[in-house]
Amino acid sequence: MTATAPAAAAEPYDYEIVKKFTIMSIVWGVVGMLVGVYIASELAWPWLNFDSPYFSFGRFRPVHTGAVIFGFGGSALFATSYYVVQRTCQTPLWGGGLVPFTFWGWQTVIVLAAVSYVTGYSQGREYAEMEWPIDILIELIWIAYLAIYIGTLMKRKQPHIYVANWFYLSFILATALLHTFNNLAVPVGLFTLKSYSLFSGPMDAMTQWWYGHNAVGFFLTAAFLGMMYYFVPKHAGRPIYSYRLSIVHFWALSFMYMWVGTHHLHWTALPDWASTLGATFSIMLLLPSWGGMINGIMTLSGAWDKLRTDPIMRFMIVALSFYGMSTFEGPLMSLKDVNALSHYTDWTVGHVHSGALGWVAMISFGSIYHMLPRLWKTEMYSVRLINVHFWLATIGVLLYVVAMWISGIMQGLMWRAFDDYGNLQYSFVESVAAMHPFYAMRALGGLFFLTGMCIMAYNAYMTIRQGQAQQAAAQLQAA
Amino acid sequence: MAENTVQTTGHVWDEDLAELNNPLPNWWIYGLYVTVIFAIVYWIYYPSWPIGKDHLRGIGTVTYLNAEGQAETNGWNTRAKLLKEMQDANAAQKPYFDKIAAMSVAQVTQDPELNSFVLSAGKAMFAENCAACHQAGGQGKVGFYPNLADDDWKYGGSIDEIQATLTGGRRGYMPAFGEALEKPQIAAISQYVLSLSGHAVDKTLAAEGDKLFHSDTGACFYCHGDNAKGRKEFGAPNLTDKIWQWANVPAAADMKAKTAEVQKVITAGLNKGVMPAWEQRLNPGQIKLLSIYVHELGGGK
Repeated sequence: MTATAPAAAAEPYDYEIVKKFTIMSIVWGVVGMLVGVYIASELAWPWLNFDSPYFSFGRFRPVHTGAVIFGFGGSALFATSYYVVQRTCQTPLWGGGLVPFTFWGWQTVIVLAAVSYVTGYSQGREYAEMEWPIDILIELIWIAYLAIYIGTLMKRKQPHIYVANWFYLSFILATALLHTFNNLAVPVGLFTLKSYSLFSGPMDAMTQWWYGHNAVGFFLTAAFLGMMYYFVPKHAGRPIYSYRLSIVHFWALSFMYMWVGTHHLHWTALPDWASTLGATFSIMLLLPSWGGMINGIMTLSGAWDKLRTDPIMRFMIVALSFYGMSTFEGPLMSLKDVNALSHYTDWTVGHVHSGALGWVAMISFGSIYHMLPRLWKTEMYSVRLINVHFWLATIGVLLYVVAMWISGIMQGLMWRAFDDYGNLQYSFVESVAAMHPFYAMRALGGLFFLTGMCIMAYNAYMTIRQGQAQQAAAQLQAA
Repeated sequence: MAENTVQTTGHVWDEDLAELNNPLPNWWIYGLYVTVIFAIVYWIYYPSWPIGKDHLRGIGTVTYLNAEGQAETNGWNTRAKLLKEMQDANAAQKPYFDKIAAMSVAQVTQDPELNSFVLSAGKAMFAENCAACHQAGGQGKVGFYPNLADDDWKYGGSIDEIQATLTGGRRGYMPAFGEALEKPQIAAISQYVLSLSGHAVDKTLAAEGDKLFHSDTGACFYCHGDNAKGRKEFGAPNLTDKIWQWANVPAAADMKAKTAEVQKVITAGLNKGVMPAWEQRLNPGQIKLLSIYVHELGGGK
């Protein structure tokens, strides 16, 4: 930023869209986590339902998952992918009007989805609860996103495509495929929200979990690995540890993930052979998943001293650790015999959150903190508050995950406990009563995490205000 | 230390992003091979790859009893495994159920081994079938479901009577006297009813209520009996104890509220005391066992 350059013409990249998505990611983070803490509290203290369908767990739960996965996570992915693809291709975004369409469209989707859930409209497919008109809107946005991404890659000024972009692109492609096939349905009528799935029985269940697990695989893993592959080396100022590992684990991960969905349907009407394949591909996915962790952690190695001073770095290393842990736990839980104990218990909920809070949210926090001062051309308002956020988030995840491990394994063991005469030792309600303290502990963990998120929102708001004030002052001086 | 010996690929993005050319870590690549070997073993044991219209059956087997009662061995599959586990569990409990079916109730309760089996199986069966209404300990819920842990029984508390209740179900009914009696008459009867369980009531009104209770006008004694101790043929409860099922007298704060509770029941009657019949869901052996269990919950007679 030299004094002679006019402030308006200096910007080579389209940062407006990145800024918008970044802000909305933080907003949805606060909203989604607030709803999460509320429904966690409902499970511990059911009077919070207020005997009203509008406050019930069943309607709020998809509001929570929709707001955190698609609102917070999705907006963070749009923001970082648009930021990364421009900077690593050295070119502004392709697509003109399509770019703001992805923003306004996506925000509309999140709002419409939440409103429809609260008023009782749901497809009843986990993480794909949106009814068909919303699905069509998502389809249009996603095609626009794909076009923008490929268009921008095609006009890059670099001979090679940076690794982060492969991951982002595979996420966009896979999500398009998954969303399309899982939502093939025939509406009951043109003016109704209800529709019937094109598939039935176990095939419908299999399609749903092919979608469901790849939403984890490509939306929540591959895409956030893309984030990791840019922001970790960039922030550490160090080269990626191994180019070869990045290629091998990228293709292995993309190939394996597509097979594993059936591990959600062990011991059901699903054919046994399909469940076996789901389990084995999950086991073979362990090392490909860890490839990303190794590359991230080894990239940081040699910059360990920064962990003492830089809380952003801490977010990244903790994210990679949780990523490694939950991608070890996942294959374990996918084995038929382990699943017989873990399925339908809180262990699953704990596993999902060690990935969602520990990996997805933590790497997003790190990346957003890295981007904020660069987008608004200023310093972070408070590094100390980032540190406070880091500790609140870390303690929050640990409380959450430990509570769900204990509660989940206890549940699984209580359900299958027999006495000396071969009779069930506990009734279902006894297992519910036994879970109560851990439900309270989980809500507390969520509260820690939410508090950290609110501190981030405040810190971001102050940083943006500070950036705008400095910008205005600089303009005044130039004039 | 690594960057001194290892070259980068030579590509640079966004001013300073580069990639080193490190080889794949050995433990990573061998780890990957181990998971592949694990997967192959899993494929060999369990049903796996589909081929044409069939699939690899796997070498794992399950042995269970077929419809003719003969042992049959089949390739590993979840349905056969469930069948086998259910058969094993039933076989383990069969000797107990056989004995209970053959013995009289008195003999069962005097056999310590069988008695503890009844307690164990009864607890599980009660939790699964009864606790949803009668609550986990059989304590019931005033205004909804009768208490099974006290010694007050609407339809009789002997094991045979409990067994009949479980088998065929029950349907309680009390007419709405608001259609037949005047308000002052209902007020009088309510005072009499409360006096039966030792409440301090208006003596004059209670005496009037006594007369109505035992007259053809009120006709309460038809079902509740001359002495108001109830008649189990009708499921009409004893009014002289302090146990209340429908009118929540113990929870009412003062005499006015207690009277209102009793008046409400007399005026509107009752048509909701439905106990389902369990003969469709449980077999006679299970019902017999559950009857003994319920009898032992509290004051069985």
